[in-house]
Amino acid sequence: MSLLELKGVEVQFSGFRALRGFDLSVAAGELRCLIGPNGAGKTTALDVICGKAQVNGGDIIFAGQNISHFEEHRIARLGIGRKFQVPSVFRELTVKENLHVAFCRRAGVFANLGISAAKANADELEKLAELVGLKESFRREAGILSHGQTQWLEIAMLVAQDAQLLLLDEPTAGMTAAETRKTAELCKQLKGRHTMLVVEHDMGFIKEIGDVISVMHQGRLLAQGTVAEIESDPEVRKAYLGSGGIRGA
Amino acid sequence: MRRIFISRGHIIGYAAFALAILVVPLFIDDPYLLNKLARYLIFGILAAALALSWGYTGILNLGQAVSFGLGSYCMAMTLKLHTIPIQTGAAGLPDFMVWNNVKSLPWFWEPFHSTAFAVVAGVAFPVVVALLLGWFVFRARVTGVYVSIITLAMLVVVNLVIVDQQRFTGGFNGLTDLADLKLFGIDFDPYSSATYYLIALSLLATLMIGELVVRSKTGLIMQAIRDDETRVRYFGYDVARYQIFAFCVSAGLSGFAGMLYAMVMAFASPTFLSVQISLSIVIWCAVGGRESLIGSALGAILVTGIQGGLSETPAFLNTWMLIMGALFVAVVLFLPKGLISIVQLGMARLAGKKISALTEDEAPLPRGHKLGIG
Repeated sequence: MSLLELKGVEVQFSGFRALRGFDLSVAAGELRCLIGPNGAGKTTALDVICGKAQVNGGDIIFAGQNISHFEEHRIARLGIGRKFQVPSVFRELTVKENLHVAFCRRAGVFANLGISAAKANADELEKLAELVGLKESFRREAGILSHGQTQWLEIAMLVAQDAQLLLLDEPTAGMTAAETRKTAELCKQLKGRHTMLVVEHDMGFIKEIGDVISVMHQGRLLAQGTVAEIESDPEVRKAYLGSGGIRGA
Repeated sequence: MRRIFISRGHIIGYAAFALAILVVPLFIDDPYLLNKLARYLIFGILAAALALSWGYTGILNLGQAVSFGLGSYCMAMTLKLHTIPIQTGAAGLPDFMVWNNVKSLPWFWEPFHSTAFAVVAGVAFPVVVALLLGWFVFRARVTGVYVSIITLAMLVVVNLVIVDQQRFTGGFNGLTDLADLKLFGIDFDPYSSATYYLIALSLLATLMIGELVVRSKTGLIMQAIRDDETRVRYFGYDVARYQIFAFCVSAGLSGFAGMLYAMVMAFASPTFLSVQISLSIVIWCAVGGRESLIGSALGAILVTGIQGGLSETPAFLNTWMLIMGALFVAVVLFLPKGLISIVQLGMARLAGKKISALTEDEAPLPRGHKLGIG
């Protein structure tokens, strides 16, 4: 049974149709890659799932619930975590505090006033920091981290949030080859425990981590299959015409 | 290590501050001066309250004088009803109502015969007003400078209403000729050390409440909201609720400060709800350090203290505003985290020395390390 299902989702930005009847189905535990030429609507697809963009038509079903018109925090509470393309962490807070904010077990104002909430599992958070190689920076402000470290911190925050479904928007953007490899490792570790939907341009990275790839074009699902299937698909070749096929994307 | 030391530093800092403000009456036998110092401490409460909403949550409330003023009127109303009537109408009608041809006490004045009611109302009323305003503002996701504009407009509106409703509020003159507050058999004469101690303890209580809030997980989320409000939503928190909470706690504390102020000044007037007071609070926080409760409170005490000192010294009669202005500019330019960052930096240096003696790799990185100075 699929954990996430998008049925004919429409999104418009002042007349521009970013998604035109987009369908997608992701099974629990799967790691799905979402690719497509620029402007295909990949980021919008993630935005609409996590509530950042408004749905103008169609349905989004998560774990049997129609979440198309839920507020962002309610969607997050249901178990959907989002990593943004431009890494966004709380720069004035320490790594530990960042993870602590993400570690959302009780969301209420008054539930979080007590002392017990303040003493969240420090060990657990430290282990998470270790997982993404930020143990040394655990008590440092996030603002001083490098770009790659910030990306990893944000991924660690999603794990701390313990989201069932992780939406990752270009997790390797701006990373060196070594950092990209490390991120691929990280994704493989998270696979199985979390269902993941990854938007990515780096084909090497996709081959490394992905099973099934969904290709988007002009706000629609164009093709779906393994890397080999996608690479030989004539429709996909046409969509990428002029950019040298998906390898050059 | 560092954490422990800093929190120990915090405790030492607070203890020193508490001791300092509590021993003051022992060395001062000038009631006028004591009354003035008590006023400065009230400003400290106001500044700490703004630090909670501005410094920690990123809500620059330019209408804080609304809460302050409403609190002061609540206290003034009960004290007014307790004055010995001189020029009153039937059933001890307040003097200004007699002059304004009001025949009987308006219904909303009635409960203020009870001091207990007034004390509760002085906090609850500003909180309810903040709750209503916050509900509309933060639910609609109004942010940044627009929040400041709305709160400022709110202040002007409330001020106009109070001035306009002269028959019930005393208009421009406000409520004057107030009785002393009598509570638990103590007469809180504005010039007595009893009043001073009440205010000093209130300031300490405010700081304690504030510290409890900012050190809780709720406080951490408030700081995260200050950093990146949108991001917090995607972790499952209802951001508006946290903003409303911070806004209301701040309003409640300001209302309480207003009640104390009406006691100390022995009157309440629309000047308590002025734009000038609202802006002053912002300056106190900026000078002291808006991301520190005690820093903001010290900023208020320091700035109003210097202001009082300079404006009463004949040599600076014409130039004191210039000197204050220069001070603000200097602090904002060179110490963006306020004067308290000097203390924090010094403490972290001390801690750093201790740590580097133990381990080499844990370099000291104090919270206020992003400073313009060495």
